[in-house]
Amino acid sequence: MADADFQRDALQHLNALYNFAMYLTRNPPEADDLVQETYLRAFRFSHRFQTGTHLRAWLFQILRNTFLTFYRLREREAAIAEDGVPDWDTPMFHDTPQDEGSAMEAHTDLERAMRRLPEEFRTVLLLAEVEGMPLEEVARVMECPVGTVKSRIFRAKERLRGLLKDYKK
Amino acid sequence: MTSTPGDSIPDSDEHLGRRLAAELPRYTAPASLRVAILQAAEPATARRPAWLSPLLASAATAMVFAMFMLTVLPRVQPTDPVDQMVRAVVSEHSRALMWGSRQSQVIPAELPWLQAQSGIGLSSAFVGDDSLTFVSAEPVYLLRQRGLAVHYRDVDGHLVTYIALPADELKVPDRSRVQIDRYRPALVKDSGFVAWVWRQRDVACFLVSDMVSADDLERFKDYFIRVRTSTEPTLAY
Repeated sequence: MADADFQRDALQHLNALYNFAMYLTRNPPEADDLVQETYLRAFRFSHRFQTGTHLRAWLFQILRNTFLTFYRLREREAAIAEDGVPDWDTPMFHDTPQDEGSAMEAHTDLERAMRRLPEEFRTVLLLAEVEGMPLEEVARVMECPVGTVKSRIFRAKERLRGLLKDYKK
Repeated sequence: MTSTPGDSIPDSDEHLGRRLAAELPRYTAPASLRVAILQAAEPATARRPAWLSPLLASAATAMVFAMFMLTVLPRVQPTDPVDQMVRAVVSEHSRALMWGSRQSQVIPAELPWLQAQSGIGLSSAFVGDDSLTFVSAEPVYLLRQRGLAVHYRDVDGHLVTYIALPADELKVPDRSRVQIDRYRPALVKDSGFVAWVWRQRDVACFLVSDMVSADDLERFKDYFIRVRTSTEPTLAY
């Protein structure tokens, strides 16, 4: 398990990770669980973290991978549902109590448009524009080349502009 | 709409990026989440006392060593020679009880053969009567010694086994001796069986049965008298 210094450094990014988790899950209890799971994994595998590299990017990478793992699991479960309709309200973590009132509401068109973006577009925008991460760090989180990140940012913004135009009509 | 220097064009990538940074609401982690994370992380380090790991390691090493030694250590055997002999005799009786004799010989017709094989001669032998029927006689090998076993069966179906072995250093224990008529054999119990133990010159003699109850024991005394008075074993060589 991680030592106290590592825990302290890692917890400095708690708010940023929680914000990211909220945009991924759209649900506060799920975001709580996702962030907690991320930190537990980070503490457990802290020996694998290379000192001198970017801790923030490493933590975001763990969070995204954790999300995708559960997201894909839920997607697969939804795919075999009897009615064939994905149930997106199903809690991502099995021990999360289902609370319909806890789902996050979108307050602005921009937020609403962000929600409708595919995860890979939403993530690059959140990391690059909202968190202000350099493209190299975003590439590390997304586990893809920098060129791909640039391309995704461009396409994400294009898609976002289209959605915002639709809302103005 | 006029754009001033430094302003980006509306809907340009740069402008959209700034809008995202400025207008998207930021969600702050609840204070309870930080506490929950620290609590979840803590037990693994705090719950386990420092001395537990070395203790578990040493216990595991000791267990492995003990398991290894179990295969090397000799089996626990009775230290008393009489108890050792009785245990061997009872085992032979149990074997005969379950699977019968390896080869049945008829007394006295086969006595010379038995003597040659067992090293025990019988100048006279109890060949059975109305209450105790002769079943078989055979050579045996117990505690690295050749000997002789004669099996009888009583009217109730009890198997009674007479065994004679070279006595060597056998001393019949005084504490277990029972006066029967003019004899004083020792009565020794083992594994649910009971045995009369006595010595005739250089031969150790045993009469084994499962007649352990008080009533059975009286009859077993009678069987002893019958065998003892009629059987004279000697070392053949």
